[in-house]
Amino acid sequence: MSGIDIKNVSKAFGTTQVLDDVSLQIAPNEFIAFLGPSGCGKTTLLRMIAGLETVDAGEIHIGDRRVDDLPPGQRGVALVFQNYALYPHMSVADNMAFGLKNIGVAKDEIRRRVEDAARILELDGLLARKPGELSGGQKQRVAIGRAIVKNPDLFLFDEPLSNLDAALRMRTRLELAQLRRRLKATMILVTHDQVEAMTLADRIVVMKDRKVQQVGSPMEIYARPANVFVAGFVGSPSMNILKATIQDEGGFAVAIVAGTKIATRVPMAGLPASDHWRLGLRPECVKVSNDGHPATVEFVERLGERTLVYAKLSDGTPVTAEDAGNSRVAMGDAIHLRIDGARAHLFSGTGDGYHADEAA
Amino acid sequence: MSHASHKSLRNTLVLVTLIVLGFIMLIPLIWTVLLSLKANGELMRSTANAFHGPYTLENYIDILNNSSVFRWLMNSVIVSGLTTLGVLVLSSLAGYGFARLDFPGRDKLFLFVLFGLAIPEQAVIITRHQLFTALHLHNSYPGLILPGLAAPFGVFLMTQYFRAIPKELDEAALLDNASRFQVFWKVLLPLTLPAQATLGIFTFLASWNEYWWPLISATRSEMFTLTVGLAASQINFAQTSGLGYLMTQAVFAATPILVVYIIFQKYIVKAVSGAAAR
Amino acid sequence: MGARAASRQWSNALFVAPYLIAYLCLLIFPLVSGMGLSLFKADLFGGREFVGLENFARLFKDTVFLQSVANTFYFVLLTVPPLTVIPLFLALLLNRSDRTAAIFRGVFFSSSVLSVTIVTLIWRMILMTEGGLAANIRHAMGFDAIPFLSDPNLVMISMAIITVWWCLGLPMMLYLSALQQVPQDIYEAAELDNSGWFRTLWSITLPALSRTVILVAIFQCVLQFQLFGQPQLITQGGPNGASRPIVLFIFEVGFRRWDIGYAAAASQILFGIILLATLIQYFVTSRKQVSS
Repeated sequence: MSGIDIKNVSKAFGTTQVLDDVSLQIAPNEFIAFLGPSGCGKTTLLRMIAGLETVDAGEIHIGDRRVDDLPPGQRGVALVFQNYALYPHMSVADNMAFGLKNIGVAKDEIRRRVEDAARILELDGLLARKPGELSGGQKQRVAIGRAIVKNPDLFLFDEPLSNLDAALRMRTRLELAQLRRRLKATMILVTHDQVEAMTLADRIVVMKDRKVQQVGSPMEIYARPANVFVAGFVGSPSMNILKATIQDEGGFAVAIVAGTKIATRVPMAGLPASDHWRLGLRPECVKVSNDGHPATVEFVERLGERTLVYAKLSDGTPVTAEDAGNSRVAMGDAIHLRIDGARAHLFSGTGDGYHADEAA
Repeated sequence: MSHASHKSLRNTLVLVTLIVLGFIMLIPLIWTVLLSLKANGELMRSTANAFHGPYTLENYIDILNNSSVFRWLMNSVIVSGLTTLGVLVLSSLAGYGFARLDFPGRDKLFLFVLFGLAIPEQAVIITRHQLFTALHLHNSYPGLILPGLAAPFGVFLMTQYFRAIPKELDEAALLDNASRFQVFWKVLLPLTLPAQATLGIFTFLASWNEYWWPLISATRSEMFTLTVGLAASQINFAQTSGLGYLMTQAVFAATPILVVYIIFQKYIVKAVSGAAAR
Repeated sequence: MGARAASRQWSNALFVAPYLIAYLCLLIFPLVSGMGLSLFKADLFGGREFVGLENFARLFKDTVFLQSVANTFYFVLLTVPPLTVIPLFLALLLNRSDRTAAIFRGVFFSSSVLSVTIVTLIWRMILMTEGGLAANIRHAMGFDAIPFLSDPNLVMISMAIITVWWCLGLPMMLYLSALQQVPQDIYEAAELDNSGWFRTLWSITLPALSRTVILVAIFQCVLQFQLFGQPQLITQGGPNGASRPIVLFIFEVGFRRWDIGYAAAASQILFGIILLATLIQYFVTSRKQVSS
């Protein structure tokens, strides 16, 4: 069990900078998700930890060892590839045993570990098969098994669920969560899917444009997004970001959007001077109601347990609202929206986020 | 006429055409086999006798007692076999190097090798002959084998094939503590077996049928390959009294390569498709 | 790229070194020294005198060489069109996946695996005037035998017939694999568009093959320019040099008269012709890569 310390790491491919002075500490036995849109550098960072990419500047430590000069095999890490990368000409058992044979583990021990992994992953009957004879979900489990048998200090997962269909993805996500409890090891998951990150990780590292945007627990990221990008990227449907002006009322900021006032619980005291304020509102804070802000319905999505209403405020600002599952709202309807400002966020011109006090 | 009967008429026409053309194609081979089954004396009077009996295996028995033909056959097997093995080894190593490893000047070097595809044998054969004379390599197995190892086609084919294998496999193996050579030997090479088969059969056929180089390099009868040995038999063609025996030699020489062809037919088709796709 | 082991370093070149040594020693060195040799008057016994371009000047005045060049072009003209068209026709007939087609594919390809010495042996027994199969058939019909190999006007045509029979398998396979790559749904769409058999062939199949046709034609040009074994074995270039191609000229000058500087010069001219054809092939191929 080892923690990871990433110090001021930078990386460029030719003239394209992909990581810019990234620092990050990961505690032993922690499950971390790197979350971000494609091209944000998250996979590169993972591959640098694994030793598959060189480090241009900075240091990477695993446990008390500095690893950025070690070959991949000596770092004590196991990586589950997005496309599994199983050896096509080897059986399932040999795929799992290959790494152990290479470091000279005794035959009995190899067999014991492979059988253990096969039992955990329900691969018992498949050990003699070749990867070509397996379904996508089975290949995925073999790829995980290949990682498990090595007893690594650190598990790395590169978008492990992206090649599975929706039902299987859900199931595998649960299995990963169970696996995580069973194995005492540090884990890093790279994903662009916020649901994976939210449900699996202890802490999420949100990345964009070569940099870490925010590091925090799922609820921190959700409730107190560090900036307007994190706010918009995490949460589905996305947070409403509305242009606003603010004024002080009793120590708290009041946002004025499309001529109406929305009282927030964001303390005025901490806010900098800024000309371009934006108000952040999760759709669950905007409810269809009998009174409140007038709006026109553009589009309705019925999800069963609730209904998403895409509407426009009187000045044309688009906003996403929620209604009950049995909502009667239809396209083109004139409706009213009740906005709960208690959990609203404010974003300054530079994009920094300001939130209601923790206690509130 | 209905759609279906249209189609079946067309199929019949195609089949008849194929049978006629196929027969024309095979006439020379049939004629050769018939001649080989006749007594030489009878053929001296008229070769038209070949269309009817009596037939005899006399020529085949004669050939089995002819040690030089077997010597040539063995030479052919040794030369073609070792050439094929050598080409497979060199091309696999070079293909892996060009596809996967980085070293200064790699891409320029690869282009330089591709240039070799445009060099015809005639442009090099005179000076190569001189070189081999200087090195005393004529009338030896290395003398017959070495020139075949320089052909760039195999390197081109294997490089393309290695490039098509996903890089994640190398990476997975590196994480599995495999050395660079183990990655090549245990992970990638087994995956290139189809390409090895294709390249192998092509090289073997080309080497077996190679004519000009062994003709000038192997001047002593005991170093002849089957192809060259057959040429030597033909030189006195006009004076030969053993037409049937000569044809038996042709059949004897053709049989091994036809057998190889039939066994590896599948790979030849693939080889051609692969070459066409480039 | 994997970190340390795959980083740019000289030791990685060890994998390509064995081949590269063979390539340099056995192909590039002979090529370059052959170019040098063409500027010398040289013989087998080491006598060597720099003569500049005199060998080339001599070639262009040498009627034997000029005749061999003319013969070679004539032969290419005789063989390349049939070797482009007949295999195409066969491929169209055989473009099915049943057993019959497989057998006939084997029949038409079988000659291609034979060596030139077997092929010439077989065809001598067909074309010779005394007891050849063709002569027997002519006699049976009451005619005289045709002097295929001794008439200067017929001998190259005979070589062409032999060569077409020998070489048609490979282009046929090339066409077949090109036909396999035509997407099947185009044919289904054509059928729905009421396109008849001939119309489909003309408007869909042949246009899809156009690039392969060009490639086959160029490839066969390169191959047939190197005609050697057939005339060398059957006629030794006769009668009166009527069947002597460039390569046989090089062979005779270089390995029978041992005038190797002169032979090297002739081989440079052949190399030039073939390089030109290969370059054309390269540009045809790369044009396809742009368009696809």
